[in-house]
Amino acid sequence: MTAHAAPAGSLLTATDLRKTYGPTHALDGAGFAIHPGEVVAIMGPSGSGKSTLLHCLAGIVTPDSGTITYAGRDLTAMSDRERSALRRSEFGFVFQFGQLVPELTCVENVALPLRLNGAGRRQAERTALDWMRKLEVDGLKDKRPGEVSGGQGQRVAVARSLVTGPRVVFADEPTGALDSLNGERVMQLLTEAARATNAAVVLVTHETRVAAYSDREIVVRDGRSRDMEHAI
Amino acid sequence: MSTLRTWSQDLRMGARFAFGGGREGWTRTLLTGIGVGLGAALLLLTTALPGALAARDLRSDARSTWTAPTAEKAGPGTLLFAEVQTTFRNQDLYGGQLRPEGPDAPLPPGLKRFPGPGELAVSPALKDLLGSPEGRLLRDRLDGPITQTISDDGLIGPGELAFYLGSDTLRDDSSVKRITGFANDIRPEKLDPVLMLLLVMVFVALLMPVAVFVAAAVRFGGEARDRRLAALRLVGADSRMARRIAAGEALAGAVTGLVLGAGFFYGVRQFADRFTVLDRSVFPADLTPSPWLAVLVALAVPVAAVAVTLFALRGVVIEPLGVVRTAKPARRRIWWRLVMPVAGLGLLVPLMGRGREHGDFNQWQVIGGVVLLLVGITAILPWLVEAVVSRLSGGGVAWQLAVRRLQLSSGTAARLVNGIAVAVAGAIALQMLFAGVESDYTKATGQDPSRAAMSVWVRGGQDPDTGIVEQVRTVSQKLRRAEGVTGVTPLTTVNAVAPKDPDRMTDLTIASCPSLREIADLPSCKDGDTFLLRGGYDDATAKALAVPGDRLLVGGSPEGAPPVSWTVPKGVRAVPARPDPAGTTRNGILATPGAAPQGRGVSGYSSVYVQLDPAAPDAMEQARTAAFKADPLATVMTLKSTEQSNRFASIRTGLYVGAVLVLLLIGASMLVSQLEQLRERKKLLSALVAFGTRRSTLSLSVLWQTALPIGLGLGLATATGLALGAVLMRMTAVPVSVDWASVAWMSGTGAAVVLLVTALSLPPLLRLMRPDGLRTE
Repeated sequence: MTAHAAPAGSLLTATDLRKTYGPTHALDGAGFAIHPGEVVAIMGPSGSGKSTLLHCLAGIVTPDSGTITYAGRDLTAMSDRERSALRRSEFGFVFQFGQLVPELTCVENVALPLRLNGAGRRQAERTALDWMRKLEVDGLKDKRPGEVSGGQGQRVAVARSLVTGPRVVFADEPTGALDSLNGERVMQLLTEAARATNAAVVLVTHETRVAAYSDREIVVRDGRSRDMEHAI
Repeated sequence: MSTLRTWSQDLRMGARFAFGGGREGWTRTLLTGIGVGLGAALLLLTTALPGALAARDLRSDARSTWTAPTAEKAGPGTLLFAEVQTTFRNQDLYGGQLRPEGPDAPLPPGLKRFPGPGELAVSPALKDLLGSPEGRLLRDRLDGPITQTISDDGLIGPGELAFYLGSDTLRDDSSVKRITGFANDIRPEKLDPVLMLLLVMVFVALLMPVAVFVAAAVRFGGEARDRRLAALRLVGADSRMARRIAAGEALAGAVTGLVLGAGFFYGVRQFADRFTVLDRSVFPADLTPSPWLAVLVALAVPVAAVAVTLFALRGVVIEPLGVVRTAKPARRRIWWRLVMPVAGLGLLVPLMGRGREHGDFNQWQVIGGVVLLLVGITAILPWLVEAVVSRLSGGGVAWQLAVRRLQLSSGTAARLVNGIAVAVAGAIALQMLFAGVESDYTKATGQDPSRAAMSVWVRGGQDPDTGIVEQVRTVSQKLRRAEGVTGVTPLTTVNAVAPKDPDRMTDLTIASCPSLREIADLPSCKDGDTFLLRGGYDDATAKALAVPGDRLLVGGSPEGAPPVSWTVPKGVRAVPARPDPAGTTRNGILATPGAAPQGRGVSGYSSVYVQLDPAAPDAMEQARTAAFKADPLATVMTLKSTEQSNRFASIRTGLYVGAVLVLLLIGASMLVSQLEQLRERKKLLSALVAFGTRRSTLSLSVLWQTALPIGLGLGLATATGLALGAVLMRMTAVPVSVDWASVAWMSGTGAAVVLLVTALSLPPLLRLMRPDGLRTE
């Protein structure tokens, strides 16, 4: 088993996480820690449990056992409603296929988290457009996801993940569906923007080229994690 | 490669995709199959209904004595049969009293032997009822030992309440038949044109939504299919091939639907005998689809599936790198969508003003016109939804998600609503027509339920020892003792004939003063008085016979005792007649008991009017039991101010039963379709929840997505229904008027179905919105 002592000043820590799906042990004592502004890559082969670890850290799924602490609060003790509110206000997400709402225009997609937080439509779209500009996709504002390329869509998704000013961005294989050039550009923009706002990034990938953008790597294998710098 | 071979190869490939795409593939095919299957099952049921109704008629005719062969005198092969009418809690019972007169007397169908005197042979449903606490009151009426169960061939349906009562006292008189066999070969009379129009409309209005839903069901999973076809294009399939493969997939879904539909039909058929809808039940064996119609369904459903799929793909360009439809589709155009309803009106308008008197309506013209008008809804609704939602904006997140979804792809939502809209439009038109012609088929009976709740009609005097006067006294006493009976008014009527001229005949009604006041306005009355009614149907004869001191022969009957002689007393006063509680204006002479002819065995009939305590819940049943016990052959009638033509009522009943089935089908299909759509968006829903979207926001968005097209669909349906209803009313030459209550009822029912479906789809929606839906491994 590999457990992590919560390093001083860490924003999000997890210890001894266990999660099973039927007979499969997706997590079997995994641990994790991240500081504000830090970019940590979770690596591992397919089926190793890295996405499950990300989903647990983000409060998307609850582990069977173990603890997750975010800014001093026990995530596992929170209700679904509290975790949803946390995700809405403090976390941002980027998925492999963007998961943009196909019916909404790009700017409406980026503005969606702000609107879910109660912001007015115009204000939300103005802020969204600022972020789209930073991600160099402001020219796509009135296009729908079906009308833009994969790389462009993923940059829109990155803008959406950052628009609320999250403290942690969770990125699950954000370049998995992109060619290397587009992938590099998306990673560059994501990490630069996150660092500029002091947001931590939890990055799930199996590509070393993508992991190279991180400050630290954690390898997950058979549901257990190993910190490549602080291995216990 | 030959065209046929190419087609079959591509269709086979499509079928393989339908079943071989892993869990997702067969789930989609299964959902399509369930949708199509529900429609196919209802179509099969429709094809089986004429046969089931014919089988009911056949069995009804087989046990009828209406035109059965009769004999003058008792013999080894004769049976005395009297139909016994009784009702229990608004359910009519079929009954007969039997007295075999010889060893070869004909057995009624369904019996193995004749029940002995006082014994009962009952149908299984009646047996269950009599054995249950609810049937206790009826058991008091039919209290003989049950020695036999009537088998299916003697019953119209499995839920029928029927009995035969054995007798050794039945005598041959006018209410008893001496028969040598059972059977009826009366040809049913031709349906009048308006009733035929109603019948045609009921079938069209009920089957159209089913067809619309079958068409919608074969398009389940359209988006995933388009993506798959794009992948096929990438590996070298040309666009024609892609369409043929899509047709193959649809065909596989339709065939699965047919198999499931046959399964649903035969599954439900097994339990058909457990259901009684509006007093009608059918035996499972009677629900056998007509072979030709079943073959037609089996061919039409797959052909329609392929046609609908190819039609749906007409505006879609499947390119190797994706489907062009994923971009904003081209605007729908209205002009060709108006062709169908306009053509429908074009067929119906020439029939306007024809009415009942001007011969039959051309059924095919009516069907064609109505079908085109109703199908027109399915063409116009997608345009209407698109045109309206394209102008919508603003609102909260839920509203925005819903509106944007509808703006991008309103076709699916419109298709979902099409069935409801067609059903509501058809039903509104029919309700209007029904309301319009109702007065033609509903007539005032003239009965006054406020004066008496029921009338008991008794014949008597066939027995030389007991005349009608004595018999009615017994009946009245038993009725008075029944719980909840507050008053009994017996009026006995016998014939009064001039001794020298038997053709000069009038009625002599014998009753107490209070009873006589029910049929005449009496200024004063005491026992011993005699009156002459004024205002009857034959005042002249009555006046000529009611001469004080003249002798009349009263109470004679061909079967019974000879008449007795009666001298008209002095002081006969003329009084105006008034209708009795049953609405009949009497005729002839009225005599109080003190003035009535004395002597036993006077034959005639008596109407006993019974007043009931409205607060006593079972007063009616108690009175019926008392009447039955006093005289099983007494005819008991509940007095009602209006009554409807049986056929009109049957067609209206058919509409209600059909509407219930269609709404259930539509609701079930909508639910399947809704779940299918949600399942396709599972990953997106999970992603939205992952970044904190409230479930209530997504649920509300789903509700808006349904509510908007439903609102528009019901609006269009109401407009079309009113237009169709107005045309139909003009066709039958009935003044056009709108029954707003039924419009509101039908629209409300349609909306209620949608709300119900949305409510039922919420639990699966919440499950699909779980963030762990993001898992792919």
